[in-house]
Amino acid sequence: MYDLVIRNGRVVDGSGMPAYAADVAVQGGRIAKIGRIEQGGAREIDAAGKIVAPGFIDPHTHFDAQLLWDGYAKPALSHGVTTIVSGNCSLSLAPLKAEHRMKLVGMFNQIEEMPLKAFREGVVWDWESFSEYLARIRKGLAINVGQLVGHSVLRLWVMGEAAMERTATPDEIAAMQDLLRECLDAGAIGLSTSYVDMDETLKPVPSRYADAGEVDALASVLSEYGRVLQIVPEFYDPDLTIARLDQLAELSLKHSIPTTFSPLFVSADNVDAVERVMARVDEQFARGARVWPQVQTRPIDISFTFAVPSLIFIRLPGWYNVMRFGSPDEIVEAFSNPESRARLIAEATSQMPLWAALRLRQVASAANQQYVGKTLTEIGQMRGVTPLKAMIDLSVEERLDAHFIAEGMGHNQDDKVGGLLKHPRVHIGASDGGAHILSFSTYGDTGYLFGHFVRGAGMLTIEEAVKKVTSDTAAIWGIPDRGLLQKGLVADIVVFDPAAIDRGEEVFVQDVPGDGSRYVRDAHGVDTVIVGGGVAWTAAEGYSADARGVIVPGAVDVAAELVAA
Amino acid sequence: MAPELSTVRKSILPQGGDSWESIARRELPRTAEADAVGMLQSWNLHVFMRAAGGVGRLRGDNPILPSDVIFVEPPRA
Repeated sequence: MYDLVIRNGRVVDGSGMPAYAADVAVQGGRIAKIGRIEQGGAREIDAAGKIVAPGFIDPHTHFDAQLLWDGYAKPALSHGVTTIVSGNCSLSLAPLKAEHRMKLVGMFNQIEEMPLKAFREGVVWDWESFSEYLARIRKGLAINVGQLVGHSVLRLWVMGEAAMERTATPDEIAAMQDLLRECLDAGAIGLSTSYVDMDETLKPVPSRYADAGEVDALASVLSEYGRVLQIVPEFYDPDLTIARLDQLAELSLKHSIPTTFSPLFVSADNVDAVERVMARVDEQFARGARVWPQVQTRPIDISFTFAVPSLIFIRLPGWYNVMRFGSPDEIVEAFSNPESRARLIAEATSQMPLWAALRLRQVASAANQQYVGKTLTEIGQMRGVTPLKAMIDLSVEERLDAHFIAEGMGHNQDDKVGGLLKHPRVHIGASDGGAHILSFSTYGDTGYLFGHFVRGAGMLTIEEAVKKVTSDTAAIWGIPDRGLLQKGLVADIVVFDPAAIDRGEEVFVQDVPGDGSRYVRDAHGVDTVIVGGGVAWTAAEGYSADARGVIVPGAVDVAAELVAA
Repeated sequence: MAPELSTVRKSILPQGGDSWESIARRELPRTAEADAVGMLQSWNLHVFMRAAGGVGRLRGDNPILPSDVIFVEPPRA
């Protein structure tokens, strides 16, 4: 008898080949047979009318903190995601000396919008080294995790405060190389760095103080292990993005490593930008370089309140400084005091089209419920003020608990986005799962891929889309034994209804440690998610304790055994 | 033989201790230094006009970071 048999489904095996009818048997955590299966299973799943596919792999997340209190990375797993890559953008939670913990918390708060209170109340700091951190998150791990080493934390460990002041000496670079080797030996999937991010005091993060020689030295260590380098380029400017991808291409060619940059957005403000960047990507691939642009599936919608700093105000220093450094009382005062209010209004007036299109999502008071769902233009007309003043007034009246949403901020031209997602040299990713939790839901991008671009627009076949988020991702990241449904491979499987799979409505829930909240989306049309042969989640019963998440690729000796098996 | 890359906007990565002046002297030697600095700054607003260089800092007083891409010609048409 098998441990598990999935019967009557259509297998989309992740290779891109056409779907076919077959049963799938699982034994000892691995796929034992695909075909007609007479033998019974200790557990059986009827997949009639459904697709049976490899579990989805999300290569760009920031679940580093959440994994400390939630080994499922909820709700990502319920969307069919069985493997995540965390530690992107130069930020990981290890290796990290005790004296740098609060510094890193500040960076996570600034860059990834992870609430400080969640760290205070959800994290017991009982690790310093990378292997200690992996041992910590392994406890109760239900989803597979590929953990990147953050370049900024490498610098902090070796250089201390000087990491944010200067380039490294040759000795310090050698120490960083040794530390990176230690992390890779422990099971790190690669290195991440950033060319855009700022810390909580708006100073560039440590990785930005590294010169090209330092990055080259670290890439040479990645080369010893064949591991990935991930970067965040200046994605808002195509010339800068092209300069960065050229830099990556040289590293890729010199060290024979895969590299990836994220994100690459379609912007209505610069319609040719994506074509220019992709033309360069094509040229670099033709030279033999591996420079994978990551493209997210979902359009950009940003929600905010004035209670926490929002990236939507990053180009308005007056506003951003108030939000970043002001207490709630000080923010209300800045909005109420005639002088500061006038200054803020003057600074923001040039962006009136943005404010005019904002929609009020929710408020606490009964008096303002009448405005919920309306645009600020409509609310302004009802109140006899400009949209900008309506936003400020509502925020003061609600003591900053007025939620606004800016919809369709970009990446919403289906013809261009769909074309990118289908492109053979585009890597579907950049979900930012686990980050920006008060700005938008970073869950459900795979549902949106299948619901919007496969079923709705018909721009990809279901086989193409599955391949993009399974075997392609596993190949790019060097994740062994996963990403395909084949006999002998690890049984990470998702069963879903192709006629129903989608992302649900974005909702605001309170489930973050420290009474924190976040935006999430439920999964639609996903039936069963299996990790390492154990049922991790079903639509009928929710999360299960049977999931068997692991660190991928795992410690060097373990990974070698897996490849040899 | 690897295919040739097309020409893109020319840029450099800073050398140790670089300033606008040293880059101007090295990359635009035929232009008067003050003019060259002004040109470089106008072509590199992502550095020169970074939103802030830290709490209490002003736009325009940001140092050139060792990782910055510096364009040494204007945007192409």
